[in-house]
Order: sequence, then structure tokens, then C-alpha cells
Amino acid sequence: MNAPVTPTLLYLDNVTVSFDGFRALNALSLAIDHAEMRAIIGPNGAGKTTMMDVITGKTRPNEGTALFEGSYDLTSLDEADIAQLGIGRKFQTPTVFDMHSVEDNILLALKDDRRPFPTLFSRRTRLERERIDALLERVRLTGHRHRKASELSHGQKQWLEIGMLLAQEPKLLLVDEPAAGMTDQETADTADLLRDIAKTRAVVVVEHDMTFVRDLGVKVTCLHEGSVLAEGSLDAVSADERVIEVYLGR
Amino acid sequence: MMILRDSLRALLVLLALSWASVAMAGPYEDALQKFTTDSYADTDTAIVGVASSGNPQALAVVEALRDGRLLAGAGRVVIRDASGAMTDAATGQAIAGAAPADLKPVRVNNRVRRAIEAALGSMTLMSPDAGKRLDAARAVFRSKDAAALPILDQALAQEKDATVKTILEEARAAILLSAPDISSADRIAAIGVLKARGNQDALALLSSVTGAPEVVEAAQAAAAGIRSRLELWNALQNVWYGISLGSVLLLAAIGLAITFGTMGVINMAHGEMVMIGAYTTFVVQEIIRTQMPGLFGASLFIALPLAFVVAGGIGILIERTVIRFLYGRPLETLLATWGLSLMLQQAVRSIFGPTNREVGTPAWMSGALELGGLSLTYNRIAIVIFAFGVFAALLLVMRYTSLGLFVRAVTQNRRMAGSMGIRTNRIDALAFGLGSGVAGIAGVALSQIDNVSPNLGQGYIIDSFMVVVFGGVGNLWGTLVGAMTLGIANKLLEPYAGAVLGKIVLLIAIILFIQRRPRGLFALKGRAVEA
Amino acid sequence: MSQVFDRRTIVVLVLLAAAAILVPAMNMLAAPGSAFHLSDHLVPLLGKYLAFALLALSVDLVWGYCGILSLGHGAFFALGGYAMGMYLMRQIGARGVYANPTLPDFMVFLNWKELPWFWYGFDWFPFAMLMVLLVPGLLAFVFGWFAFRSRVTGVYLSIITQAMTFALMLAFFRNDMGFGGNNGLTDFKDILGFPIQAASTRVVLFVASAVALAGGYLLCRWIVTSKLGKVLVAVRDAESRTRFLGYRVEHYKLAVFTLSAMLAGVAGALYVPQVGIINPGEFAPANSIEVVIWVAVGGRGTLAGAILGALVVNAGKTWFTGALPELWLFALGGLFVFVTLLMPKGILGTAEEWWERARRKPKAGVAPDALPSAAE
Repeated sequence: MNAPVTPTLLYLDNVTVSFDGFRALNALSLAIDHAEMRAIIGPNGAGKTTMMDVITGKTRPNEGTALFEGSYDLTSLDEADIAQLGIGRKFQTPTVFDMHSVEDNILLALKDDRRPFPTLFSRRTRLERERIDALLERVRLTGHRHRKASELSHGQKQWLEIGMLLAQEPKLLLVDEPAAGMTDQETADTADLLRDIAKTRAVVVVEHDMTFVRDLGVKVTCLHEGSVLAEGSLDAVSADERVIEVYLGR
Repeated sequence: MMILRDSLRALLVLLALSWASVAMAGPYEDALQKFTTDSYADTDTAIVGVASSGNPQALAVVEALRDGRLLAGAGRVVIRDASGAMTDAATGQAIAGAAPADLKPVRVNNRVRRAIEAALGSMTLMSPDAGKRLDAARAVFRSKDAAALPILDQALAQEKDATVKTILEEARAAILLSAPDISSADRIAAIGVLKARGNQDALALLSSVTGAPEVVEAAQAAAAGIRSRLELWNALQNVWYGISLGSVLLLAAIGLAITFGTMGVINMAHGEMVMIGAYTTFVVQEIIRTQMPGLFGASLFIALPLAFVVAGGIGILIERTVIRFLYGRPLETLLATWGLSLMLQQAVRSIFGPTNREVGTPAWMSGALELGGLSLTYNRIAIVIFAFGVFAALLLVMRYTSLGLFVRAVTQNRRMAGSMGIRTNRIDALAFGLGSGVAGIAGVALSQIDNVSPNLGQGYIIDSFMVVVFGGVGNLWGTLVGAMTLGIANKLLEPYAGAVLGKIVLLIAIILFIQRRPRGLFALKGRAVEA
Repeated sequence: MSQVFDRRTIVVLVLLAAAAILVPAMNMLAAPGSAFHLSDHLVPLLGKYLAFALLALSVDLVWGYCGILSLGHGAFFALGGYAMGMYLMRQIGARGVYANPTLPDFMVFLNWKELPWFWYGFDWFPFAMLMVLLVPGLLAFVFGWFAFRSRVTGVYLSIITQAMTFALMLAFFRNDMGFGGNNGLTDFKDILGFPIQAASTRVVLFVASAVALAGGYLLCRWIVTSKLGKVLVAVRDAESRTRFLGYRVEHYKLAVFTLSAMLAGVAGALYVPQVGIINPGEFAPANSIEVVIWVAVGGRGTLAGAILGALVVNAGKTWFTGALPELWLFALGGLFVFVTLLMPKGILGTAEEWWERARRKPKAGVAPDALPSAAE
């Protein structure tokens, strides 16, 4: 095993996943650098969600390499391990803990000892309280801190989930369709927030909404049938013959 | 006067006797005389003599002796038939009037009885009726009476019927093997014949062979061969029991495969639908018994559609009043249907009483089919065929009818199905009714092999869930394979572990299996399932 | 700690303390004729209810807070009961029908020559009490380790827990298991040297049940108000979200399932001396499901509701089976349907909802959202 000397943060090579003969990922290769933001686009069934599943340990690839920081083999770790390594994931539909308060949602996500017994005896420290305050401020939920998460609007839940991701202090954020179901203003705000986050961490955004991708203004990877079709700036990718063919049909 | 008359009578008797012996003397008559001495040893000789005489009366004499209807005394032997009429054994002529006072039934003991058996066997070996010859050959096989050897050889020479001939040869082999002074070569040949017979009798004979070492060795080898063949039959019989149990499980679980497997509804009252089907059978039979007894043979066929309608109707009622409010909340559905099952049990208990009700078996379902070393009872055969029939019918319904199509559509994507104009509410109700109705007809079949009591359904619910979960949810084929696997595994385990321990072992195995493959044998894979 | 002792907790503790004082007083001090007298047969009955309440509490901890619907908690209850029963059997000594000093009657009857190894130590009370905790705990640990690791969830888990208790029932019905087969363990004489039938012993057992219930309740309160409790609720409501936050969900489930099984074992150990018998019927799947309905009636995820539900349903059962035995199953079945359909939050949950609604009405309208155009 010859790990790269200056490791990319996330390195996928030749990753293949098949379900009952159907290849959801077909020899996919991808590299994400530290503090890089990347947008992943592609039509339905291109393998975007499956790729996220492989990175976060939900799905084991049939073959291929998935390395984090050049040394951690993601294909042999489970979700909890990978999350603790510093990979955070936001789902397509916002998933927060409905019955907990907004504050508790953040508290549960805060980087801390994740084992049951330390958790049982855990007390909230002043440092943690400050972290929670800062995070709530950042995702604009300070005024809602005592409300139940179930009472939040769709957009607020999306932001709460992003806040929870940040509380994990991840090195890499995987964000699945953050703009889905949002108003234009919310979409723009979300793009700002993600750009801000990407200053210090790597962010991978899967998105359908081309306006949003344009807003992000980052390198774009287009997936099709489980492998990379084109990579580059949005303009370059959208000028690519094959991409046009895939999106518009023959 | 008295003296004179008595002496005259004695003289007459003597005259008669000498006349008989002079006029009709022959081996048969000589043998008959031995019956009159009231000695077991003589009776024994008499039987052999009579049997080998070839006299047309001989069979009647020995049969009469067996049944205690052979009277002897004062030099005469008389046959009394069941109605009390007398026939002279020597002449075959009827005797008028009551039995002479000096005649007493010839006594028999066990040794005599064996001789009778052997004699009857050898005598009927020549009967024109093939069935009688077969019985006789079997009797000789059991008695192993060396005296029957000559007649056996004679019978073999003229026997045309292959089945009878086989048995005759085996009988001959049995005699050769147990009789003294038979050459080793003949005995080994006999072992070969017995080995071909290969049943428990032959095994017993072969294992008790003594004598020359090569004979004993051959017998032991043959016995081992038979033993392993018997074991094979035994295993096959167990497999059959397993298939039969598997069919019962299939019947009980297949309705569940629809409600749980395709609709995701945990119906804990499923067993009660089976129970209701069984009680429907009971009611149908009661009505037939009192109103039109001639239809009894068809009672199950009348009960089938009724059970489907009754159980299906109750199912639809349950779906409309309870379950439809609980879609998407499987655990709550489980609890509510458990409550319903308690109520249904108590309702049946209140109406029909807590004890078992008698459900009769039509004549065409009793008896058994012998197949090689297997014994298949007709009611089990009927249930196996019925279970597979129901399975096939359900498969066709799900695949080729619009109801099946709609159910599958609703299962896969409720909202999309709804927006395409499928009335999902109605499909839910119908699918639930279908599952319940199938449980009802399962109840008709199970009423034939289980006690019809309010607790009938309880006994099946855990097993049915195990079958569906083991086979893989949402897959009828999985249910079939699951039911058969569990049924056969259960019956194959039973001889080693006993019924209860076998069942425990199986339950633990399933629990462990579910850990390995949480979605069963035939699980759907892919992203859609995870959602 | 203040979170542990909320108002409801204090009410529960006060009521339990009152019961622990009043029941003995009314039984022993009040004159037999007076209206305040509690007859001797009612004391163990009430004690049985408290044991059931502890069992319900243990189910609520896993179901109400962690979403694990166990249909096999009756098995842990029964195992705890058997451990206690084995101690009580050994205490009989030579006073059995066969007067064998070491072998319980059923073993003599089955012609056993010596005590099976797994009966060793049960004549010593502390060991038996340890087993009351360890045996159910170990079973739950092994079972849970397999089940949670392979992520068996929802109804699948419910069904295999049911299969587990069913298998145990079949096993305990066997004579060769060495636990008295069909008849189970009974004819107990005394506990820690006190005659088990005596009124004073029964009063002490009642008080012990009340104390155990209070202790169990506080333990559960402590857990559910801690951060661990928050994680459990998170697992219940969004298991994969919890996983992707880095929590190893199976460890949490395993820990709480095992603890809950131990609580159920204690409940069983309290139950057996008060009813005087333990037999394989306690493993029946129907029993475990009934416990779930106690919890549902009282209100799942409230702890106090589990206690309330156990008391209400069991009091109802006692009354029905005495007055209208024919109707009891209708009533119980109807209760299952009614609660799941019309009162999914149970008595306490529903009451809480009303209370919240009544309290909120005056000050309607919450602070405007920070997100400018949040689609409400």
C-alpha cells in the first residue's frame, strides 16, 4: 500500500457497488482536497447518494479503495467510526431529533466522548455552552433554542442539521441537496453559509439545482451511471457534449 | 335289558368304526383318527397329516380346529359350522340332529396353534385365489415350518403371479435359514433372497442366524444392508412428515405473507382467522349432519368458500375499523391486532364453549397409501396438495389479476399508486381481506389435523411469523421455501432431539439466522428497501 | 440532579412512601373490623402489583425511550423469578414431602440422585440475588449483542424477542431442564428464616417491593435525564442520524436492554415470594405482550405512566376476573385497541398534552423566526 505523500483528504479509486447485478457505482474515482468545496451533479440514478453511502460506511463497496486522510480505509469502518474520524453527513430530507429541543440537538452533536458510560456521566461544561451558543448564532437559531425541533420550519431544520454537522467539528462535510424545498432567499443564504464553512473544511455538495451550484462557484463533478462523466468548472462541465447528452437525452 | 341295550350299542359303534377304517382307510383318515386321542402331540401330527393329504375336506378341518369348531371323540371327527350344523369330517356328509354327546372340541395349545397356522399356510398355497395364496405364503414366512417345504416347492413350481412368487421364495428362504441340516450354500442363497425383501421381518430373521461362520457373516452383511435401507426409508418418511408439517406451516403463514409481507401489517390476529375457518368447518358439518347427511363427504368443499368469505369478511372489517388508522406504525398495529385476537378468542369461547369441537373427516380422507417403505395418510396427502394448490392460486392472483397488480403497486409506492387512480384504501382492505380469507381456508384444512378450540390460532402465530421472516418478507416463494425448510428441519431434528428440544433448537437457529440475514432468505436488496 | 427530581418524580416517590407506610399500618395496626383494615390476602396482591409496576418500568425504559419493543421481557421477569424460586426451594430443606435434605421434591420424584451443578450456591441468599440480576442480564446481553450488532430493528426485533421467550417456555416445560417442569417451583416455606406465609413477612415483602420500585424509578429517571437518555431518544427517533453523528447505536441499545432485563429480573424476584409459585407459564408470549399494554395505557416514555398503567390494568384484571370473568379478555383486548387507536400517548401523555395546551393558550404566538423568509 503506497499512500500518497501529501494525502488528499478523501480519495476514492475504482469504487464499484452493485445491487443484484445493477451497478450503482461503476469504477468511480474521486479526490477531494483539504478545505476544498466540490459540487456533485448528475441525473437521477447517477450514484450520488450511493457514493455518500460508501464514504460514510453505510454501504460496503464490492471493490475499490476509499481512503480518508490517506491512511484510514473507509471500506472497513462503520458509520460511527467514520463520523468520529471527522466526516459529517447531511441527509437529503432534513433529519433532526424531533422530540429534542434545538439546543439539545446541537449538544448531542458536539464533539465529545461517544461511549455510553461517559455519556451517562457527562455534564455540560461552560466551554460546551459557549460552543452551543456560537453554533446557534451561526445557523440563526438562537431565538429558537428551547423549541422542539419538530416545531421548526423545513428551512430551519436544514440549517439545524448543518449546525449539528458543524458541532461535530468534521474535516469533511457531505451535504445532500441542501437547497431542496427552500425559498430563493433561503437558498442563497445556504450557499453563503456553505461557502463560509468551506474556508476551513472540505465540503462536498450534491445538488440538482443548477442556480445553487452556480452560486457556490466551485469545481463541479458530473456523475453518470456510477462513474465520473466530466469534471471542471460549471461552465466547462455544462459545455461538455456528453453531459448535455446525458441531461437532455439524444 | 339295560345291559343288553348298552352292549348292543357298543357293538354297533365298534362295527361302525371298523367299517370306517376298512372302507375309507387312507392317510387322511388315519390322520383324522389322531384328533380323537385328546393329546396335543397327536393333534400336531394329525394337522400335518391332514394338511399334506390333499383331501378336499382338509382345509375345512384345520380351519374348524383353529376356530374351536372341530369336535372329536369315540373315533369320530365332526365339523360344526358357525350356525351349529354338523358335517362328518371323514365323509363330508351332514349329520342330522344335535351333536352326539360324546364329542368334545379338540383342544389346542400354542404349539398346536403354530401348527395350524403353518398348515393353513401351506394348504392355501394352492388356492386358485391369488389373494389367499399371498396370505398363505406370508403365513408360511412367519411360521418358518420346515414341514411346509415340499408343498412350498410344489407351489413355487406352478405359481404364475409374480408378487406371490416373490413371497413364496422369501418364505422358502426363511425356512431354509432356520431349519436344521441345510447346506451353507443354500442358506447363503436364502440370505440373498431375504436381503432383497429388506423389511423389519427379514432383518429380525437375518440378525438371529447362527451356524457356519460364512453364513453368519453373509447374514450380518445382509442385515447391515437392510438396516441402512430401512434407515433411508425412515429418513424419507421423516422428510414426508416434514413436507406435511411444512404444508401446514405454509397454509398458516401464507395469508400472513400477504398482510405482513406485502402490506407491512403485523396481524397478530392472523391465527384467529385460521381458527375462525376451522369453526366455520365445524358449523358447516353440524348443519350437514342434521339436515342432509348425504353431503358429508363434500362438507370440506362446502366449508372452503364459506371460510374464505367469513374470515375474509372479518378481515376487511378489522382493516376498515382498526388497521387503516395505523398504517406506518407497525408496532401499534401489532398491539391493536393482539387485542383483537384476544377478543376474537373470547367471542368464540363464549359462543362455542372452551372445549374442543369435533370436526369429522370425510371417508375419502381416511386411510393411508403404502409406497415402498413409506406410509402416507390420505388426510396429510390432501393437505400437502391443498397447501400447494393455495400457494399456486395466490401466486397467480398476485401476478396476473388486477388486484394483485394494484396490491404490488400500492406496496411499492403508495402515493404514486394513489395518484394513478388506484383507490389505495380499497386495495388495502381487499388485500387484507384476501390474506385473512386465505387464513380461513387454511383453518378448514387444519381442522382435519388439529383440535378445533378457541386456542387453535395461538399455536400457529409464532410459527407463521418465523416462516415469513425466515423466508424473506414480501416474497411468496420465500414463504414456501421457509415453510418447507422449517417443516423438514423440524421433523429431521425430532428423532435426535425430541419434539420439544427440536423445536427449541429450531427457534434458536432462526433467531441466529435473522441476526445474519435480517431480511430473510429471499431479501430484496437495494436502496429502495432501506427507505 | 434537579432534573431527576421533577415534580412528577416527587409525586411518585411520595405516593410510594405513603404506600410503604400505610399498607403495613392498615394491615397490622387497624382493627380487623374497621374500615381502614387491609386484609391479609390483599397485602401480597398489592405487592404483586408493585412487582408488575417495576416490570412495566423496565419495558418503558427500552420501548418508551429507545424504541425497542420487546415482546420478551416476561422471560427476564421469569428468570429473575426462577432464581428467587431456587433460593426458596433450597430453604425448604428436609421439610419437603420426601424429606430429602438437599434435593427438592420434584428431583426426588424424578429419581435424581444429586443436585445439578446449576443449583449450587442458590441456598445462599446473596448468591441467589446476584443471579436474579446476572441471569436475565446475561441473556439480554447475549441476545442483544447478536440482535443489535446485526441491526435487527422494529417488528423483526419484536418477533424474535417473542420467539426467545417462547423457546424458553418450551425449555422450562421440560422436566429434564431441572426446574420442576410443568409445575415449576412452589410450596415455599420461608425466606431468610421468616415464614413466607406470615402476615409480617408479607408486609416486609410489600415494603421491599415499594422500595425496589422507587429505586428502579429513580435509576430510570437518572438515566433518561442524563445525556445518555437524550441519546436513547435520539436513537428512537432517528437512528441513522445518531449513527452518522458518531454514536455506536448498538452499544447504547445493548446497555439499556441489559439494564432493563436486570430490572425485570428484580421484579420477578419480588413477585415469586408474594404469589408463592413460579412456573413456565410466566414465559408465555402473551404475558410479555400484556406488559407492553400496561405501559401503553399509562403512557410510554413517561416512566410514571408505566407504573400507573401496571397498577390500573392489574387492578382492573383482579376486579374483572372476580366479577365478570367472561368479559375480561374482551376488556383487555378492547383496551389494546382503544389505547393504540385513540390514546396513543396513554393516560399520562394525554393528560400532559391537555395541561400543555391549557397553559399555552394565554400566551399564543412565539418569537418571529431568525431566518427571514422561513416557510412556515
